[in-house]
Amino acid sequence: MAGFDFTNYNRNAALHARGVPLPKATSTGTTIVGCIFDGGVVIAADTRATSGPIVADKNCEKLHYIAPQIWCAGAGTAADTEFTTAIISSNLELHALSTGRKPRVVTCMTMLKQHLFRYQGHIGAYLVVAGVDPTGVHLFTVHAHGSTDKLPYVTMGSGSLAAMSVFESQWKPNLGRDDAVKLCSDAILSGIFNDLGSGSNVDVAVITADKTELKRGFVRPNERSAKLKSYAFPKGTTAVLNEKIISKNDIGRYVSVTEVSVGEEAMEIDA
Amino acid sequence: MTSIGTGYDLSNSIFSPDGRNFQVEYAVKAVENGGTSIGIRCKDGVVLAVEKVIASKLWRPGANKRIATIDRHLGAVYSGMIPDGRHFVDRARDEARAWRDTWKSPIPTADLASRMGGYLQAYTLYSSVRPFGITAIVAGFDPSQPSPVDGEVGRGPSVGPGGVKEGLTHGGPGLYMIEPSGLYWGYYGAATGKGRQAAKAELEKLDLAGEGISLEQGVKEAARIIYVAHDDNKDKEFELEMSWISDVDGPTKGRHEEVPRAVREEAERLAKKALDDDDEEEGKKDDEKMEE
Amino acid sequence: MEFTTTGMLNEDGIHVDMDRLKKGEVNLGTSIMAVTFKDGVILGADSRTTTGAYIANRVTDKLTRVHDTIWCCRSGSAADTQAVADIVQYQLGLYATRNGKNPTTQTAASIFQEICYANKDRLSAGLIIAGWDERHGGQVYSIPLGGSLHKQAYAIGGSGSTYIYGYCDAHWREGMEEAEAVDFVKGALREAIKWDGSSGGVIRMVVLTEQGADRHLYLPDTDYKVRHY
Repeated sequence: MAGFDFTNYNRNAALHARGVPLPKATSTGTTIVGCIFDGGVVIAADTRATSGPIVADKNCEKLHYIAPQIWCAGAGTAADTEFTTAIISSNLELHALSTGRKPRVVTCMTMLKQHLFRYQGHIGAYLVVAGVDPTGVHLFTVHAHGSTDKLPYVTMGSGSLAAMSVFESQWKPNLGRDDAVKLCSDAILSGIFNDLGSGSNVDVAVITADKTELKRGFVRPNERSAKLKSYAFPKGTTAVLNEKIISKNDIGRYVSVTEVSVGEEAMEIDA
Repeated sequence: MTSIGTGYDLSNSIFSPDGRNFQVEYAVKAVENGGTSIGIRCKDGVVLAVEKVIASKLWRPGANKRIATIDRHLGAVYSGMIPDGRHFVDRARDEARAWRDTWKSPIPTADLASRMGGYLQAYTLYSSVRPFGITAIVAGFDPSQPSPVDGEVGRGPSVGPGGVKEGLTHGGPGLYMIEPSGLYWGYYGAATGKGRQAAKAELEKLDLAGEGISLEQGVKEAARIIYVAHDDNKDKEFELEMSWISDVDGPTKGRHEEVPRAVREEAERLAKKALDDDDEEEGKKDDEKMEE
Repeated sequence: MEFTTTGMLNEDGIHVDMDRLKKGEVNLGTSIMAVTFKDGVILGADSRTTTGAYIANRVTDKLTRVHDTIWCCRSGSAADTQAVADIVQYQLGLYATRNGKNPTTQTAASIFQEICYANKDRLSAGLIIAGWDERHGGQVYSIPLGGSLHKQAYAIGGSGSTYIYGYCDAHWREGMEEAEAVDFVKGALREAIKWDGSSGGVIRMVVLTEQGADRHLYLPDTDYKVRHY
């Protein structure tokens, strides 16, 4: 049967009601942006992935390949942006093969919005769609519920407010390529520094009629510097207050103990 | 018949080497033996009429109707195999209903004819089916005035719309005849069944394409033509069944209805009189000839 | 993901969710209208799209083409209204090629209504359909939340419309000239934008006549006085 199965949802809700904390999906905090310039389009993203208050990945990739000249920046649930862009990329390539034409950005946007609308927001993918096709340069946003917007500059994710403030104060018509790249990376930096959900580096993709350039780690404002001193403590720093030795025979009363042969066939525990 | 023994007449969906589908041609034979049906497209409406041959004295007069209503504004009559005609009507009603469900407005006569033409044509393509043994005449009146959308709340604003293009006419009467092959044409006057040749000859005299005639006149002509067409088949009793459709401001208010009894009986009286007059005239001529 | 229910009974009484939007959904807190005039019909809308308190798009185009001279004004959920308009656009295109003639405004309105009524529990869409055809001239149909269909001389909708019922009632006249009708729509939307926090940005219009569709744009920078294209 098509659609989602909500039985686990109901189980989780029941467990949650009894005080069990629910598992957290990875990443909602993100800053992604896009901006059109004369002859092409730039998209950019930060590289932080979060799981609740934890930084799950310090250098993840939020710029997704759709077609050689169509790319997506994704915010929202990491798994959903990853799989949604992958399935649309696949279908769009098949479409391009069967029509014998280059894929178009509107086609990609329409496939995304229809896919997301069908799932009524349960697929938490918030996307910036950008690309160049035979009809010209295009930039769209697609929200998880399936609504789309077409604008000369866009921002999404929890850092979108910080990023938008950069665009609203510095954007002007007929930008050059380098100006657009600078504007986008500044917008992402604004998200990295002002939004808790965003952080680490700036990834940039520049799409023009003849090529796409992916600049991974275009700005790295959060490099970990060398420690000024060693924080390794010498043995004996912590005083031993008392000591109790439990023999293997004693512990064998509670758990079964098997001898592991040490040598070539040793079990790799932390490989 | 040239086809006998060649085998090309045994299956639908098989062409003969000279490009004929014999099953369809046999279906036409079935039609040619049926009671005469006609339709007249008048200036302000359409008339349908059928010669219902009375096969049994036990039939109750006026029962066993041959003209069917497809939708409020649509009627159909057919000659040939009656059960095939009944199925044709069922399907036409389904098509009209489906159109209303989709577009929330009555199906135009031309569109119904197109749908039914396509339906009959499909029965010439497959070896597992036989073509319809009928030729159907479909009549309708598409409203000349705008009508509200089905399901619209209230009657709309009291003020009229702006920007209506002047000097255009919309809707009007429609008459189509659909053959067993699926072929259909629009007609001013259509006739099928046993008496079609005589009926066509009479219809051609009416100048329907030029000056045209009124609906009221059309009813009288329809009755007369059925009587004329029956003339060659005098030994059998028959009953005349007639229906008509006018615009919303006409006698049927845009609906397909049976012609009221009084109107029909008057038309039949005139039809019989016209036939008697003809006979008399012919008789006179004979008398004159004898005198010579 | 959490969902708001459409209504529930608690100890402290009945709670009804009025806006029926899903959490985080993009909303068109809106002022839209369509008006018949002497030669056809005019559609007008503000340009604000919101997610909660944030303006997701300040130059939105809420006037959507479904056929050459049949357009609609969208209010409610952006996703829902875009999806519905896309379906209707497809259906009308199909109608035109299949029947060899342009669909009427009535046809468009009936398709919109069918979708809105059949999915009334799933959609939050308030639509105004306006179009011109040579048989019926300029027409306006309104389809509010439940999926009913109303033919009107003019229609207003969206959260901002509540502020301009009086204005429209006082200023609307039958058979206005095009310039008068444009001024009427502009005047009404200015008031709606002024009083409604969920409406704002630019004023967009589309004029539908025998000549086709003509777009208007008015910016707040020039106090909505100058037509920009």
